[in-house]
Formats: sequence, structure tokens, C-alpha cells
Amino acid sequence: MPSLKDIKTQINSVGSTKKITSAMKMVAASKLRRSQEKAEAARPYSSRLEEMLASLASSAASGEGIIKLLTGTGNDQNYVVVPVSADRGLCGGFNSSINKETFRLVKSLEDDGKNVQLMPVGKKSRDFFNRVMKDKIFDSFADLNVSVNGYDAALQVSNKLQELYFDGKFDKCIIVFNKFKSAISQEVTQQQIIPLDVSDSSKEENVDDSAAKAIYDYEPDEETILKDLLPKNVSIQIFKVLLDSDAGEHGARMAAMDNATRNAGEMIDSLTLKYNRTRQAFITKELIEIISGAESI
Amino acid sequence: MATISFDLVSPENLIFNDEVGMIIVPGKDGDFGVLPGHSKVMSSLRPGRVMVYGEDKNLLKAFFVSGGFAEVNPEKCIVLAESVNEINTIEKQSIEKEIEELSGQETDVAKDQLAIAKAKIEALDSSFYEKI
Repeated sequence: MPSLKDIKTQINSVGSTKKITSAMKMVAASKLRRSQEKAEAARPYSSRLEEMLASLASSAASGEGIIKLLTGTGNDQNYVVVPVSADRGLCGGFNSSINKETFRLVKSLEDDGKNVQLMPVGKKSRDFFNRVMKDKIFDSFADLNVSVNGYDAALQVSNKLQELYFDGKFDKCIIVFNKFKSAISQEVTQQQIIPLDVSDSSKEENVDDSAAKAIYDYEPDEETILKDLLPKNVSIQIFKVLLDSDAGEHGARMAAMDNATRNAGEMIDSLTLKYNRTRQAFITKELIEIISGAESI
Repeated sequence: MATISFDLVSPENLIFNDEVGMIIVPGKDGDFGVLPGHSKVMSSLRPGRVMVYGEDKNLLKAFFVSGGFAEVNPEKCIVLAESVNEINTIEKQSIEKEIEELSGQETDVAKDQLAIAKAKIEALDSSFYEKI
């Protein structure tokens, strides 16, 4: 039977763990609120940019140069997969679900005979893929800190990607990230960002008023605007993804820490029960010894 | 008097959203004014001033944008800007210092920033109408 002192130490150590996890939960909750606000603040820009692009995209012919961000290279052979994870752990399945999904995606692309390269964003996915498929990584980003650096963080990633794209290093780029659904749920999502995928979001409304949209005047001209707009759109998409992932991370951490705090509480309860039982057992034992000692005299 | 709805948006947030009387936008080929019922235009912007006038044509706000896009239709004007400062929060001295620092550098990034800083000075110095 463990001694009373052992149980007491155990209760104390679980108690301090509980303090830490509940503090982390509070921190995550306040960070979550802030990054959620940021994610919402960024939404008007990206949705309006998408609208503009949708009305322009229909008029774009295939061509060389920047237009390739829209039309693609014409090939379908070389892929870049960008998993976006957090820089820190202790947030439940947040990072591992990204890594798992990316791993699965890479395998399935390879089964189709494609060349796949990786560009992990965030320490956790960088470290993971450094272990399991080091030869495929050709660049990585960590400590981007989107909540502090804002749009500049997204620019770093986007500039690198575009540089590689125009060097002809890859044909398609898919980003894997945790989409923020609510504070307690994130959804692992794949999104193709290069070439731009305009088909899903705006097709339906476009059918009705494509005639109305066509009568825009363009200044200086359509092509110049499109050339300015496309690289910006890639950056904005990445910015949106980073913000979503940031909010998701805090949400996931909050949920994980909430669970940990609750578990610690339960553990303390059961340990306290055990402590009291043991204490009583000791007292009973001592009483029996005293009584039987007295009887024998 | 008719109004037009005006949105000024930066990647980080929505900066201005209201019904206004007129907006002057720094288009790539020159400034243009947008009144209610303006024809449909899509334009890239150069670094410069976005001036917002109220229904009675009094100047409401003046912003500096470092580039971006504008989309105009008869009911609505949307400006998507990369970075936005309100004109009266810009400090001339710090910009001048920035220009000094940047003017020696040769990189593309520095040149872009220099052009933006110079446009800021120009925006501060040039005159504008308080009321039209």
C-alpha cells in the first residue's frame, strides 16, 4: 500500500499540472478571440478580390507570364504540397491531423505517377516531414507569427511560391490546412491555390449576370489589371489560410487544455478519495493494535 | 441628393464603409472622381490619395493608399488597398527620414518603398478642396 506521503505528493503534482493547463486554456481563449477577429476582418478583402477576379477570369485568354497563375502551365506533373501547421504543440490533434492528411495526399499523388515536393509551413509539420520524407522538402517556413506580422507573413510564403512557379519548378500547388469552423472544431481542408481555382465559388451567379459583368470599363486595360490582381490574390489566399490556421490552433489548444484541466480535476478527486481511505485504514489498524495490546495485558 | 456606398478595404481589415457623396480615387492613369451612378469601371491604383466627400460635398476623410484596385458600379465603389494610412496620421519628418535611408539602396523592394514614400510626401504637400 502506498504511504500517505506518496499520495499527498501525487495530489500536489496533479494540482500544479491542473493550474498550468487551466492557465493555458485562458491564454488560448483570449488569443482565440483576437485571431478570430483578425480572420473576420480579413474576410471582406478576400471576398471582394474574388468577386473582381471572377468577373475578369472569364475574359482571360491563355497566355504567357503572370496569366499562368490563372490558366496553369498546361502540365499536370509536378506538385507542391504546402501543409500549414502550428509552431507549437499541446493542441490536441491539430498538427497530427495536418501531417496525416498531407502524408496521405502525397502518397496518393505519387501513386498516380506525379512528382511531389513539400513546403511545410510551421515548425510541427516541418519537423515531421524532416523525419519521414526529408528528400521531398525543398523549402520550409517556421515562426511566421501571422498574428503579429500580419500580411507580411503571407507575403513571404507567396513570394517564394511564385518565384518557384515562374521558374517552372512546379505545375500545381495544393495547400493543406485546418479550416476554422468554430472554437471547438477545425476541418482539415485541401485547397488548390496555383493555378487559381475559380470554378467553385462564383460560377453560379456568373451565369446569370455574365452579360452585366462584361460591360466594365478597364483602366488601364484588362490585362494589366489581371497581372496586378493575380499575384495579389495568391498572397491573399495564403494570408486567409494562415489566419484560419492560427485561429484554429488556439481553438484546438483551448479544447485540449479544457479536457486536460477536467481530467486533472477528476484525478485529484479520485486521489483524494484514496488518500482518505488509506488514512482511515491506518487509523483503524492502529486502533486494533492498541485494543489488542490492552486486552492481552 | 443621391449617395454611393463606399468600401475601403485593406488585407487586415475593413477601414471605411458608409454612404458618401463623392470619392476621388488615384487611378493608374490619373485621379478620377466617383459620383453616384458612375459607370462600371475597374482600375488599378497608383500610390496616392483617396479623398472621401460627404453628401454635401464636404471633405470627410483623406487616406493614403500604397496601390491596389478599385471597382466601381452605379451603386457602389470598392477600393482594395495594400496599405492604408489616414493622411493626418502621417508624419512628414519620419517619411523624409525613410526616404534618406532608402535612397542609397539598390534592391527592388527598397525602390518600391521609396516610390511609395515619395508619393506620401507628394500627397501631403499637394492641395485639395475642403469643399466642392
